[in-house]
Amino acid sequence: MLTSDNAISIFRRELTLGMLLRGLLLAAVLGCLVLNVLPSGKMIDGTLLLVGIGMLWLVLSYRSVKGQRLAAESPLLIAAGHFDEAEQQIEEALRSFSLFRGVKMMSLHHLALLRHAQKQWQDSADLCRTLLKQKFGAIQGITRPSRLLLADALLELGDVRGAYSALASLHQERLSLGEAMNLLLIQLDYESRLGAWESMLPRGMAYKRVQLAELMPASSSARAQAFMALAAQKTGRPAWADWLRSRAELLVDSAEISKERPVLAELWNVKNAGT
Amino acid sequence: MDDQPSPAPEPQFLDPHDMIERSQPAPRTGWLWYLTACFFLLVLLSTLAGAHSTEMQAGVRFLCGLTMIGLMIGMSVFTWVIAGRQRNEQRSLDAIEELVQLRRWPEAGMMLQNLLSKPTRSAMARVQGLIYLTTALARYHRFGDAIVVQEHLLDNVDLDPGTGYALRLGRAMAMLQEDHLTDADRALSELRRVEGSEGSAGLALIEIYRDVKTGHPAEAIEIFTARESILRRQMGHRVADAWALVAKAYDMVGQEDLARRAYRNATLLAPIAEISRKYAEVASLTGKYPAAVAPGE
Repeated sequence: MLTSDNAISIFRRELTLGMLLRGLLLAAVLGCLVLNVLPSGKMIDGTLLLVGIGMLWLVLSYRSVKGQRLAAESPLLIAAGHFDEAEQQIEEALRSFSLFRGVKMMSLHHLALLRHAQKQWQDSADLCRTLLKQKFGAIQGITRPSRLLLADALLELGDVRGAYSALASLHQERLSLGEAMNLLLIQLDYESRLGAWESMLPRGMAYKRVQLAELMPASSSARAQAFMALAAQKTGRPAWADWLRSRAELLVDSAEISKERPVLAELWNVKNAGT
Repeated sequence: MDDQPSPAPEPQFLDPHDMIERSQPAPRTGWLWYLTACFFLLVLLSTLAGAHSTEMQAGVRFLCGLTMIGLMIGMSVFTWVIAGRQRNEQRSLDAIEELVQLRRWPEAGMMLQNLLSKPTRSAMARVQGLIYLTTALARYHRFGDAIVVQEHLLDNVDLDPGTGYALRLGRAMAMLQEDHLTDADRALSELRRVEGSEGSAGLALIEIYRDVKTGHPAEAIEIFTARESILRRQMGHRVADAWALVAKAYDMVGQEDLARRAYRNATLLAPIAEISRKYAEVASLTGKYPAAVAPGE
């Protein structure tokens, strides 16, 4: 298995190599153009050299596409629970040569995603932190899922302050629907640890939050609604607490919800005490 | 008598035949080949110039250098424009996906009409767009049109097994809604033969619906009881559909207490108007059993 330290050192080495190679090729192209323009360059045909560099660029780009293809397949494998195959593909993509930074950054993001799915929170957090220090350029879009992953991993590790830092800037960004759903779930978890019950189910905005939770997959939806039910219970809104708890129970068994987040067991303890 | 030819009929909103035809990706123009040819022409010119006088050689080389820079900038701009157009198409698809998820059908329909009324930039985008179109058409109860698109995709596109299975499920549901019961039964038999289909919540839901629709409530209840955990796990809030259908089944066999409980569960998860719009058979339960009421803000 690829350790996070190992993956990070491969990632850094490959980024440096790619950058050096791109710089060399660019310098060579400029050199050829100068050769063509300068009268003293008539001994060597700059145009022919340029053709050679063009060919080399094409060959290297073609090889880079292989890594890109490998990187693109791994999220599907992770979603299907085929972790070993995903690990193999990500390692191959990380080690394969690529001229472009994007492929390596995407592979590292997928490795963080895999470690998150494997519940290896520390590794996932380390990989996300390394990734977020990079300049993203054209793949700016992966900063948001990386920050969400980091915040969730830090919450699992009990680092509430770290999770806040990762989440803070996300509120100013335009999120996709999937990202907004992830953010809601992580934020509810974060707010429950702070005991910020009122803001978990804000008055006048409760339905908006509940509607977003309805779109989530069963387990996430059940957890989000259970968190909101707990908030309703804490803030003296029994009708909301009953309604949300009943909905969560219809999606996932209460024991399963409480096993993932023991704080939510209080919902059913109070219910049983009441009956 | 009026000799004037009658005007061509206006294409219908989300016309499946029209959109299937028009969305075919246009063949590539091959600009890259023209640019490559220009590049090699320059190489040839430059080499030929070397064989003539030194004054001419210097002049041609200078011109070649300038043209080369122009070509490089041109190719970069060209690639940037093409990549930008593809990104825009992908953004449109992402937006449509979100609108479908949010059940904002009129906006999703408008965007689909816009996307599929002209050649798409990639075959994959077209397939994705047509899949969303089947969902929108089903929402508008145009099940016949949805079947047209589903059959076009299943017959003409090499889909991955998961997507193919999901489309077949959608087609079977559309056939049931259209009362094509024999076709639906055949489609369901095909789906059952697929490996792993016993773990499919989608298939279970369609079978429950078929049994309710054809007056076999006991079978519907049996399927629901056997697959309840799969339905919960895979369908999220859409499990409300299954609860509503099983409420109808219990009602049909006169088990009113169980029907009441199932109806309450269905209405806890989704508004009854939304469920009744999908399954007309369930509408008769409105008023007969109390619906769960969401608390006020």
